[in-house]
Amino acid sequence: MPDLYHFATPPRNVGIVGVPPLEIIHRLNRDQVRIHDLDEPLVQTALETTTPFVPRVYCAIMRTVVQNAMQMDLDAIFVDVGPGKCDSAGHIATILADILTIPIIRTSNTDQTSFGTPLCASGLPLLEKLQRITAGVTRAVKPGNNPPPCKPTAAFWGVPPRDFSILHLFPDTTHVYGWTRCMENKTPADEALEARYNPAVPTVFFAQSFCAKTALAQFLANRHPHALYLDGDVAASSSTKAKIQAFLELSGVAL
Amino acid sequence: MMLADFGTSYSKFLDLGSPGATPFVVETKELKPSMRVTWATGHNGRRFGEHFVNELTALGRGGAAVIEEEHFVLLDCGSRDIKFIEFRNNRLEDMGWNAECGASMGFTIELLEKYYGLDYTTLAVPATTFSVTCGVLGMSHIFDAVVAGVPVAEAVAMFVKGIAINAYRFAKSPRKLYLSGGLCDNPLFVHSLPCQVIPLGRFLLLEGLKVAMNDKQRKSG
Repeated sequence: MPDLYHFATPPRNVGIVGVPPLEIIHRLNRDQVRIHDLDEPLVQTALETTTPFVPRVYCAIMRTVVQNAMQMDLDAIFVDVGPGKCDSAGHIATILADILTIPIIRTSNTDQTSFGTPLCASGLPLLEKLQRITAGVTRAVKPGNNPPPCKPTAAFWGVPPRDFSILHLFPDTTHVYGWTRCMENKTPADEALEARYNPAVPTVFFAQSFCAKTALAQFLANRHPHALYLDGDVAASSSTKAKIQAFLELSGVAL
Repeated sequence: MMLADFGTSYSKFLDLGSPGATPFVVETKELKPSMRVTWATGHNGRRFGEHFVNELTALGRGGAAVIEEEHFVLLDCGSRDIKFIEFRNNRLEDMGWNAECGASMGFTIELLEKYYGLDYTTLAVPATTFSVTCGVLGMSHIFDAVVAGVPVAEAVAMFVKGIAINAYRFAKSPRKLYLSGGLCDNPLFVHSLPCQVIPLGRFLLLEGLKVAMNDKQRKSG
């Protein structure tokens, strides 16, 4: 891999899109650079401010990346455009390179070293699980004190949603699968891990609207014996939340 | 104890404190803001209920309680949206709630009836239909057809049939369809559905609410 880590002056604030290779995160950590995960909502401006650059009907995560990048004072952005992210990230990198003056550095994360997935299998509230997993993307070392595993009664498969409020609807005994599991494992391009699910528990297969992963989510939901396929855009509607609630309740999951 | 299904246009009530009482309907726009019931479902349920059960859960509970089949598809056509539940082997198989593309279908059907002074019990199911995925957008088909010389009643019937077929496809085109909601009382709509239809009336969500309430009270001891 070419050395992508070249800066005339040491950066202080760096944005990341997707999960850049561990080596990049390690060097950023070493140099005490503050890492901002641009996939998450970080600024208060309206998402519509991105429409001159990105179509309104587009993945809400990618629109959020552009929104963050435009508003934040960053020294560089690492955009993972490898098999662990999506084609959209490559296009967004092109757009950011055009509208910003900071370095936009493309990476391709093919890391295969497993970090394990203790959070995904833990009994923490689902919201906390995903908060910890997404926060972990800025660190190159394993967190200590793994929470104990729990016996699952439900599962969430998919990417971390743009709107975390849907996570409140699940019981603490919800295990996590899909790309979020790959995130915790630090192997975002591991397709086999991403496609894994537990057929023994009711599972919500979630993808962001307009994301290529909607096809995989629906495909796996069709194979799963007890599944709900769901896609969501910027904010979860009341009907989206009702579907999750009804699916879990009518499936006999204790809430 | 009062139970209620607070729909967009109509609210349905059942007083469990009066043995043998039958459900009754009140136009939602007539409700006072101070209205309170013990258990509620429906779009406005959170505003008026001490306890809330969402509409899909109420629909599923109601269907499972009333329909004596292991496998069934139940479609609820409301004023503002459409939703369906599918059970297979007495277990939830699939569901859907279309509040956007199915928007305002029931509301629009009633609006057209009043505006044009029509009686849906007298209108025949037309041979042709409009392609309708939204009540509001679908109305333009009616106006275009009337301009082209189609009688108003026929144009509206084509619209209603289009809505029925859209709802049927949304429920994954079953051979047999259980139907709930106010449109059960609209024979043009019911007969426009291209399958066997079993109307269950507009109080099914109240039945499901009752089941959900009993279930939650039992679990909470």
